[in-house]
Amino acid sequence: MILRNISKFIAPALLVLGFAACNIETIEDPNNPSVGAITSNASLSEIQNLVTGIEGGMRLNLGFYFDGVGAIGREIYRFSTSDPRFTSDLLGKGSATLDNNTFYTTNPYAARYRTVKNANILLEAVENSTAITTDEARSAAKGFANTIKAHELLLVWVQQYDNGIRIDVSDPDNLGPFVGEGDHKAALRAIATLLDDGFAQLNSGGTAFPFSLSSGFSGFDTPASFAKVNRALLARVQAYNENWDNALQALAGSFLDLNGDLSLGAYHPYSTGGGDALNPQWYPLNATGESRVVQPSFVTDAEAGDTRLSKATKRADTEFQDGLQSDYDLTVYATNATPIPIIRNEELILLFAEASIQKGDATSLNNAVGALNIIRTAAGLGNYSGGTTQAELITEMLKQRRYSLFGEGHRWVDMRRYNLLGTLPIDRAGDDVWPKFPRPQNED
Amino acid sequence: MKIKIIHKRLLLPALLLLCFQAAIAQFTVSGKVTDANGEGLPGATVAVVGASRGTSADMSGNFRLEIAGSSATLAISYTGFKTVNLQVTSANTTVDVIMEEDFAGLDEVVVSGLATNVKRANLANAVSSITSDELVGTTVQSTMDGALYGKLTGVNIISNSGAPGGGTTVKFRGITTLNGNSQPLYIVDGVYYDNSNFRSNTNFVSQAAGQGSTQFQDNPSNRVADLDPEDIDRIEVLKGASAAAIYGSRAAAGVVIISTKRGRRDGSTEVNVSQSVGFQQQLKKLGVRDWDATKVEASFGAAEVAKYNKAVSDGKVYNYEDELFGEKGILNTTRLSINGGTEKFGYYAGVTRKSEDGIVKNTGYDKTSVRLNLDPKLFKWADLQINLNYVNSESDRGYFNNDNTSTTLGVSYVSTPSWADLFPDAQGNYPNNAYAPSNFLQTRDLITNKEKVDRVLGGGIGTFHLWSNDQNSLKLIVRGGADQYTLRTRTIFPRELQFQKDGNGTNGVSIAGSANSFGTNIAAFLVHNFTTGGNVSFRTQGGVTQENLDQDFINTLATQLIGSQTNLNQAGSVQVIQERLKQVDKGFFAQEEVNFKDMAIFTVGIRGDKSSRNGDVNKLFYYPKASLALNIHEITDLGSTLSQFKLRGAFGQSGNFGPFGATYTPLNPIIIGGNTGSIIGITLGNTTIGPEKQTEIEAGFDLGIVQNRFNLEFTYYVKSVKDLILLVNTPSASGFTSAWRNAADLKNNGFEIALDLNPVHARNFNWDSRISFWKNTAKITRLDVPAYNLGAFGATLGTYRIEEGKSPTQVVGIDPAAEPGKPFVFGDAEPDFQVAFNNSLHYNNWDLSFLFHWKQGGKNINLSTLLSDIFGTSADYDDKSIDPSGTLGNGAYRLSQLGVSAGAWVENAGYVRLREVALKYNLPSSWFKDKAKVRIGFSGRNLLNFFDYNSYDPEVSNFGTNAISSNVEVTPFPSAKSFFFTIGASF
Repeated sequence: MILRNISKFIAPALLVLGFAACNIETIEDPNNPSVGAITSNASLSEIQNLVTGIEGGMRLNLGFYFDGVGAIGREIYRFSTSDPRFTSDLLGKGSATLDNNTFYTTNPYAARYRTVKNANILLEAVENSTAITTDEARSAAKGFANTIKAHELLLVWVQQYDNGIRIDVSDPDNLGPFVGEGDHKAALRAIATLLDDGFAQLNSGGTAFPFSLSSGFSGFDTPASFAKVNRALLARVQAYNENWDNALQALAGSFLDLNGDLSLGAYHPYSTGGGDALNPQWYPLNATGESRVVQPSFVTDAEAGDTRLSKATKRADTEFQDGLQSDYDLTVYATNATPIPIIRNEELILLFAEASIQKGDATSLNNAVGALNIIRTAAGLGNYSGGTTQAELITEMLKQRRYSLFGEGHRWVDMRRYNLLGTLPIDRAGDDVWPKFPRPQNED
Repeated sequence: MKIKIIHKRLLLPALLLLCFQAAIAQFTVSGKVTDANGEGLPGATVAVVGASRGTSADMSGNFRLEIAGSSATLAISYTGFKTVNLQVTSANTTVDVIMEEDFAGLDEVVVSGLATNVKRANLANAVSSITSDELVGTTVQSTMDGALYGKLTGVNIISNSGAPGGGTTVKFRGITTLNGNSQPLYIVDGVYYDNSNFRSNTNFVSQAAGQGSTQFQDNPSNRVADLDPEDIDRIEVLKGASAAAIYGSRAAAGVVIISTKRGRRDGSTEVNVSQSVGFQQQLKKLGVRDWDATKVEASFGAAEVAKYNKAVSDGKVYNYEDELFGEKGILNTTRLSINGGTEKFGYYAGVTRKSEDGIVKNTGYDKTSVRLNLDPKLFKWADLQINLNYVNSESDRGYFNNDNTSTTLGVSYVSTPSWADLFPDAQGNYPNNAYAPSNFLQTRDLITNKEKVDRVLGGGIGTFHLWSNDQNSLKLIVRGGADQYTLRTRTIFPRELQFQKDGNGTNGVSIAGSANSFGTNIAAFLVHNFTTGGNVSFRTQGGVTQENLDQDFINTLATQLIGSQTNLNQAGSVQVIQERLKQVDKGFFAQEEVNFKDMAIFTVGIRGDKSSRNGDVNKLFYYPKASLALNIHEITDLGSTLSQFKLRGAFGQSGNFGPFGATYTPLNPIIIGGNTGSIIGITLGNTTIGPEKQTEIEAGFDLGIVQNRFNLEFTYYVKSVKDLILLVNTPSASGFTSAWRNAADLKNNGFEIALDLNPVHARNFNWDSRISFWKNTAKITRLDVPAYNLGAFGATLGTYRIEEGKSPTQVVGIDPAAEPGKPFVFGDAEPDFQVAFNNSLHYNNWDLSFLFHWKQGGKNINLSTLLSDIFGTSADYDDKSIDPSGTLGNGAYRLSQLGVSAGAWVENAGYVRLREVALKYNLPSSWFKDKAKVRIGFSGRNLLNFFDYNSYDPEVSNFGTNAISSNVEVTPFPSAKSFFFTIGASF
């Protein structure tokens, strides 16, 4: 009986076998392009997409970056009704410390490396693309990618300092070591090397990039002019690294113009256009609850008549939060579509002054005073009349940097470079001034 | 040779068969079916054993049935009663049947294979089932998933918020995944019922994702809410792989099998109408802080005192809790159903119209559901079931939960003190809220945040009796269906809102979303029954299945609106999101059941599945199962007291896919200066990813005493999940912050006890009671990556932590007592245990039923308290009940813990609540000349609630149906309790 039944199961068995033979086709990602296709043989428009992606990536999480370094550098308070950690952790309220797995640490860090990754993908795509027909164009694209990588790594260094930073990150499964752990200058040297590589590539990059750049690089959108941005960034790195001759040399190749427009430079553009980002450092005047206000000493320490006080605008009402208060809104940017500088002439002039002061010889000191007076004049102040010893000039230079580059992420680094973090104002008993951010938890 | 017979049978014209039938002798049997008290049992099924003939009893319990031949065995069955088998002959045509109550439900049939059922008495798994009566018999239910509360052992259900239109997290026997689908598979009459949720993208305004947490917190409802609970006949719940292995790779989170009501096929027609009206109100009021000048100065500064004093003297201090959450929402449900038909054609039609207003003005839920179930009998050997359902629903869900812009109603409410004046002037202009970026009264009155659903569900089941003889029968079952819906979300933030105008926002936001989901499934099975002369039966089944799912989500967001226009083109800036999902699964299934004289029932089966969701799309993954039930009382005589004793054990495996897209490393679009670029995604894909594989072993016994009036069911289970798919944190220096990997195992074990009692059983008074108890413990047993924190908002405020040897839902955070380098463990989100106590009492024409639900323990992370403390608005701010030193008020104490310990926000979320209660009266049928049965009743949901939890309701989830981090609260839509008056009639 059972044997007879077995024959009946031939039909279902055949059905099952028939099914097993019929295959499912792999479904390609219906939502996004894939990395594999773009690195193996990218078209020119795909190269362009990667470049635009890099520019977009550079803006990601910049808001938290500036809030972090601005608050710790006691330039601003970031008040937030929805997140108390801006005024507790960042300012070291009570026993609060910076956390190694909280957004202010991890988000800017990850965003910078995401851009680095995109630049690495661009490097690979450029290498393999048959759509790029000349070695010059290939070299120009690499010069762009390496320069941007260096800039992003420099921002990581600002927060990580002597934690060290990873330089080689091309293989996600096999990341390179932390460079400069305990010796922050080692990381700066690696960044300078990267900039030099990019500079060489730009120099042999012909007359045009094989892609176009946004309005943020207006005037710096050929390999030759972009190389001046590369040198400007190198000047900042060399100054941070106290290689003053190298800094001056880099400045010479940069777009430094002592008599030029202070705002000349490379920028992150913003707009209200569909899908575009708004300037993350902009809040409307008199915002309550979610606001970015100026640490009061910026106003009280200023020389009378300094037009740069326009960056701190008097509020209609005092803004309070968490035991802190301010009468001034941060108004570095006029609108929510105002671009944020990557690097600009005003900083280069101040770097020129700084490097010259550090050189210390009479001519250099004289040059420095001249540069500082350019800045002072632009700010509506009279020429510098104080002492001209190296130390006195450093004090004046740091003051001018404080007011000229206010809200652009420099004050905290400057104070750290000159061992002056202890001089930053403490607003509440028990607050701390942090020298660096912790290494993100997931890096270990 | 057999195939030839089948073939012949298939081709035989049906008419010929019918002619043969007419020539054979026949007689008519009539009688009455009653319970032990002599009450007629309307609708009792009378079937001829071995034939496909049958009828059902009329309103008084009378039946009449024509029978071919000269004798037959009738099987008379009725839900809740033991089946009676009765011999009738042409000489004995009038039979009265007295049915005995089946306290243990041993005769009900429970699913055992993809195409077959088994009597509960012979079942080897602890499959829970719920009848229509248990589901909606007590009180009016808003959604199907919400109606399951407390009615199933081993189940943890959390309502995500009180927002109208549902949104529920359902977990069977603990956590089964960390990142995959955590919600059970729903199957309605054989059709896979999609339970996705789609965000409305209020995140653009709230910015909730992106700072502390990258998860969306838009509080969507999940789509199983579309099903009308009134249409459901029964629900069976397969809680783990031992029962659900037959559903293979989609079954890891359990399977909910829903059967809807069908027509009675006895020539009679039944019409049911009912109308419920009621209201809902805030479940628990927290109150507002009792201010005085000193407190105002301490919390808001000296300058504020004058404003406060002026508000006091002007009488302008308000209770905004009442203002915002104080509505009494009207609840209205109208219901009509008709069922009837003949032996050849049964039909059921149900219509429900529901409208519910929320406790917040301008929120509510409207639903219309129409169902038509047809059962044509095509031929003597072919039955067909056709099921059609159309649902239209609309929910206005308000604007709640976490944000990073302080604009949601919840966050702006807690940041506003009582003396703020937010009311509009005579011209309808709202003042700006000086204390928060949003005037929440203005936001409440002017915004739209709506979900609209149109859903069509169609399915059919064909059963073809191919061949049978004395000992064998073979049938082919073909089942298929389609589930299509369009979810439209519409969200409008007009430009006159405080947080949209004057540069505070984007001058208005208008968002239109549409999600199209189309799922189909088809399956074919052959089932062969073979019974030996010695009453041993073998049932063999095998078949193939295929499921497809295609979803397309498009969300268009317009900002810089022109005037009061809301059309997407009346805007200065438009952006679009599109996300598509495509999935194809194929599988086969085979099973053998052996029943040895009802003494021992043994089953083995296997399912093989492949899916486009796996890294290797054509690799077959196998999910076996085996089970054994031993009816000891059938094997030996256990005496008269012990009426049932069954031992059972079952083993099975099932799977769970990784999230869609886990195999891809995408380049995402990014826009700068009008150009679109590509930037690497933050998650590294994995092309070798496989499904999560669950193995469950369960064992237990069923004990029945005194004719099964007392029943005890005990089940112990061990449920292990291997190769859990983790979104592993990667060093973000790689450019990726996370990557997909099969990198962990976990294990749940627990037990479930259910005690059914029938303490009183008299002519006019009956009392049924069920006490159930369940407990689950979970542990991570393997973790290939270092322990990491997951979910919520980081260690400062309390978070979850995945750590080998620990519970996956442990709640950790910073604390001075923590060991260096490790967070402190505050507890576990999983409850210690749960108890449900369900009673139904019947006295003459009165029915009283109530359901208590006790959840012991389990922690929530309550950040509503944190936010209200920061703004000094907590109702208990000045109480001194939590500072160990007794010096600080509660608000000040909790704030002093910020950055020190997360313990201040981790709270016990246990509760005891009266889930459902109803008192009903059946009007004497003599009033209606026995033509109609009419009943009236009062009922309520969540009327009594006992908990220490310091917010509206411990049942809450800021992160929706997320596998791990439910149990987090950030200013949600508060939950409600509801009251109903119902009148219903049957004709």
